[in-house]
Amino acid sequence: MTAVVTDLTPRQRTWTAFRRNPLGLASAAILLALAVIALCAPLIAPFPEGYGEDTFQPPSAEHWFGTDDIGQDVFAQVIWGTRVSMAVGLSASVLAIVIGLVVGICAAYFRRLDTPLGVLVDLSLSLPVLPLMILVAALAGPSVRTLVVVIALFSWPEVARVVRSSAMAIVPMPFVSAAKVIGGSAFWIVRKHLVPGVVPVVGVSVVLTTSRAVLAEAGLSFLGLGDPNSWSWGTILHKAQQSGALASAWWTTLFPSLAILLLVLSTTLLSVAYNDARNHRSAS
Amino acid sequence: MRRGFLLAAAAAIALLTACSTPSVPGSTGQGGSQAPATGDRLTIGTTADVVNYNPLVGNSRTDSWVTNLMYPHLTQMDEAGKRIPYLATEWSYSKDGKTATVKLRDDMKWSDGKPVTADDVVFAVTAVQKEKFGVVAGLITAMEKAEAVSPTEVKFTLSRPDGTFLDNVGFWLPIVPKHVFEKAPSVQKFANDANWVSAGPYKLTKVERGQRYIMERVEPFGPGQPTVKEIVFRVFPDVNTEVLALRNGEIDLIGNVLPPSTAADLKNDPKLKLVQVPSLGWAHLQYNTKRKPMDDVRVRQALAHAVDYEAIRNIALKGYAKSANSSVLTPSQPDYADPSVSEYAFDPAKSKQLLQEAGVTNLSLSMIYDQADPNIARWAPMVRDAAKQAGIEIKLQGLERNTYLDKTLKRDFDIYAGSWAIMDNPPANLGLAFKTGGFINYAQVSDPKLDKLIDEGQRALTREEAKAPIQEAAKIIHDQVYDNVLYVETFNIAHSIKWTGFKPMPSELLSIVNPLSLAAVKPAS
Repeated sequence: MTAVVTDLTPRQRTWTAFRRNPLGLASAAILLALAVIALCAPLIAPFPEGYGEDTFQPPSAEHWFGTDDIGQDVFAQVIWGTRVSMAVGLSASVLAIVIGLVVGICAAYFRRLDTPLGVLVDLSLSLPVLPLMILVAALAGPSVRTLVVVIALFSWPEVARVVRSSAMAIVPMPFVSAAKVIGGSAFWIVRKHLVPGVVPVVGVSVVLTTSRAVLAEAGLSFLGLGDPNSWSWGTILHKAQQSGALASAWWTTLFPSLAILLLVLSTTLLSVAYNDARNHRSAS
Repeated sequence: MRRGFLLAAAAAIALLTACSTPSVPGSTGQGGSQAPATGDRLTIGTTADVVNYNPLVGNSRTDSWVTNLMYPHLTQMDEAGKRIPYLATEWSYSKDGKTATVKLRDDMKWSDGKPVTADDVVFAVTAVQKEKFGVVAGLITAMEKAEAVSPTEVKFTLSRPDGTFLDNVGFWLPIVPKHVFEKAPSVQKFANDANWVSAGPYKLTKVERGQRYIMERVEPFGPGQPTVKEIVFRVFPDVNTEVLALRNGEIDLIGNVLPPSTAADLKNDPKLKLVQVPSLGWAHLQYNTKRKPMDDVRVRQALAHAVDYEAIRNIALKGYAKSANSSVLTPSQPDYADPSVSEYAFDPAKSKQLLQEAGVTNLSLSMIYDQADPNIARWAPMVRDAAKQAGIEIKLQGLERNTYLDKTLKRDFDIYAGSWAIMDNPPANLGLAFKTGGFINYAQVSDPKLDKLIDEGQRALTREEAKAPIQEAAKIIHDQVYDNVLYVETFNIAHSIKWTGFKPMPSELLSIVNPLSLAAVKPAS
C-alpha cells in the first residue's frame, strides 16, 4: 500500500503494468465504446417513441434487435437505454463517493467522530437495501433524479468504510503529525495528505460503485419504479415482462440483459486489472 | 472473493432476466401432464394469495374467487349480464317502488348444519348499512330497513323508489352466517380466517399461504351439485409462470386474464382453449374539470381528438378490445347502449383548432396511471405520442399503486388514466361516477342537468323506463367529455382442453371461475 507513495513514478509503473493485462485493456475499450454510444445515441438511432403495426418481430436486417409489443425498435431502446443507465450509474456513484469520502475521512481523522460514524455506517450496511430502495422510490415517484438519489443514499456506506480504513493507515504517519505540529489546519491536512492518499482506493470504488448502481437502477426499473418518460435497460426488461411474452419474444430481454452483463463484467475486470497493476508486488 | 461474487451476480441477473423461467413452487403430483382429467380435481392458477376471508370486505380477485365459492349471493349474472336465481328464487318491487321483496330457497345449509334463512340475509345487509363498508354500502343508500317476513322471505323498505336496488344487492352482497358473524364486535373487522362456516358449492378445507388453497365439494348442494370433487387454487409469482405451468399441464386453467400478447401467442396451442369474456367496465382518460384550462369543454374535446383510439385497441390490446363509441353505455350493456353516439375521431388538426378557439397555447399536462397495470402502462406512451402530434405535451407519471390511489382520491392530477372493473348497472354507476360529489367522480363533474337525469334513471323501476334518461345523461357525458372512454376489453381466459362446460360470465371477477361455471365444468372425455 504505502510503497506506492514513496515510488518515484508510480503512475508510469501502474500504466506499464496495466498495459500488459489484455483483459483490462479489453474492458476499458468496452467501457469506452459504451460511453461513446451513450453520448452519440441520437446519431445512432432515433429516440424510441410512437407505435407501429410490426409488433414482436424477431431480429432482422431492418430491426437488428427485433421489435417489442407496441412495435418499437429494441435496438433503439438499448442504445438510448445505455445513456440513461450509464448516466444514472455514474451520477449515483459520484454522489455516493462524495458522501462516502466525507464520512470516511472524518471518521479516520477526527477520533471523537469515529465511534458515532462507525455505528452509522454499520447500521446503514445492515439495512435491507432493496426493500428500502423500493419503498423510497415508490413514495418519491418515478424519475431519473429519484433513482440517482435513492441509489446513492444506499451505496455510500461501503465507500465510507473502505476510505476510512485506508485513511486510518495514513493518519498515524510522521508527516501528518509534522503537519499538525507546524500548525496546519485540519482542512489543510485532510486536503494535502489524506485525500491524495485515498485516491487510488476511491478510483477503484468509483468503477465498482458505478456497476452496482447500474445494476440497482436496472433492478428498480424492472420493478416498475423507473422513469416512464425515458428508456433504461431495466425499463426495457420491465416492459418485456409486463407484455407477458417473455417465453416467446426472447429478443426483448436478451439484448438489454447482454448490455447489463457487458457493463458489469467490464467494470469489474477493469477495476481488478487496475488494482493488480497498482500493486507492484503481484504485478510482475 | 469480491471479484467472484460480482461476476456471479452479474451472470445471475443476466440469466434471470433473459430466460425468464423462475422456479415454480413445488408441485407434488398435481395432475400429471398427459393423464386425462378425472373429475377429481381442478387446479386453478392465480397470482395472489387470499388477503381477506371476510367476503363482505375482501375485494381482490383471488379473494372474490375463493369467497364466491363459499358464500352464496341472492342472484347471479348470466352471460348477457341479466340477473338469474341463486339463493333467491323470485324478487320484485311493490307498485310505488318503495318496498322490495325477495323469496329464498329453503334447501341450502351452512356447513355446520344450520339452514340458510332470511335472518342471514337481513343480518348481512344491515351490518353493511350500519358499519358502512365495502362496495355494497354505496349501493344501498335508498334502504331504510330490511326484515325477515318468514324464513324464506325478506322485505326491504326503501326511502325512495330505486330500480337499481335489487340488482345491486342481489349481485354484490355475499350472504354470511349470522350465528358466526354476529359474535364479532365489528363485522367489518371480523377476520374470518379459520373454522369457516360456509354455504356455497365448495368449502375451504386447507390453506397453505403462498402455495395453494384447497376447496372440497359440498354434498348435497341445492342449486345444483358440482361435478368436480376438489378445486385447488395455486399461487404463482406472475402470469408468465402461470402460462408455463398451464402448458406443462400442472394447472388446468389460469384464473387471471391473459395479457393480450400472451393470448395472441396461446391461440394456436392445440392443448389449450381460450374463452373470451367481455369486460363490464371500460378503460378511460378523465380530465380534471376543476383544473384550468380543462374546465373549458373545448380543451377537453381537443384532448379527446388527440387520442389514437384505433391504434390503442389494435396495437396495445392486440385487437382484444371493442370501441364503446366514446360512450359510457358500452356494448356490454345491450339494454342501454345508444347506437346514435359516435367515437371521437383521432384528428390532430381539429384538436389544434379547438385549442386555438379556446385560446390555449403550449398545453402541457401530466397524466397519472398505475405503473403495475400492464395494459395501461403499454398505451400510456401511445397517448403521449399521439397528443404530441396535436401540439399537446403529456408528461407521464407512472406511479406505484398506492401513490396512484392516493392521488386519485385527492383528485390531484391533470389527466387520470385507468379502468373501471365492473359497471354492471348504468343508473347506479353513473350516479357514483358523475353526480356532483360522487364517490368515484374523479373528473369532479358538477352538472345539475346531468344530476337530474341520473336521479330520474335511478328512480325508474324497470330498465325500459330508465333507458331514456340514462341515454340522455350518457350523451351529455360524451359531448362534455366528462369521461373519455377508450375501449371495452375482451378478456381472454385460458384453460386446458381436458375440461369442458365452463359458463363464462362478463368481467374478470367472474370470468369462468364463478360458482355457476365451476359447478358445471366436467372432464372433456
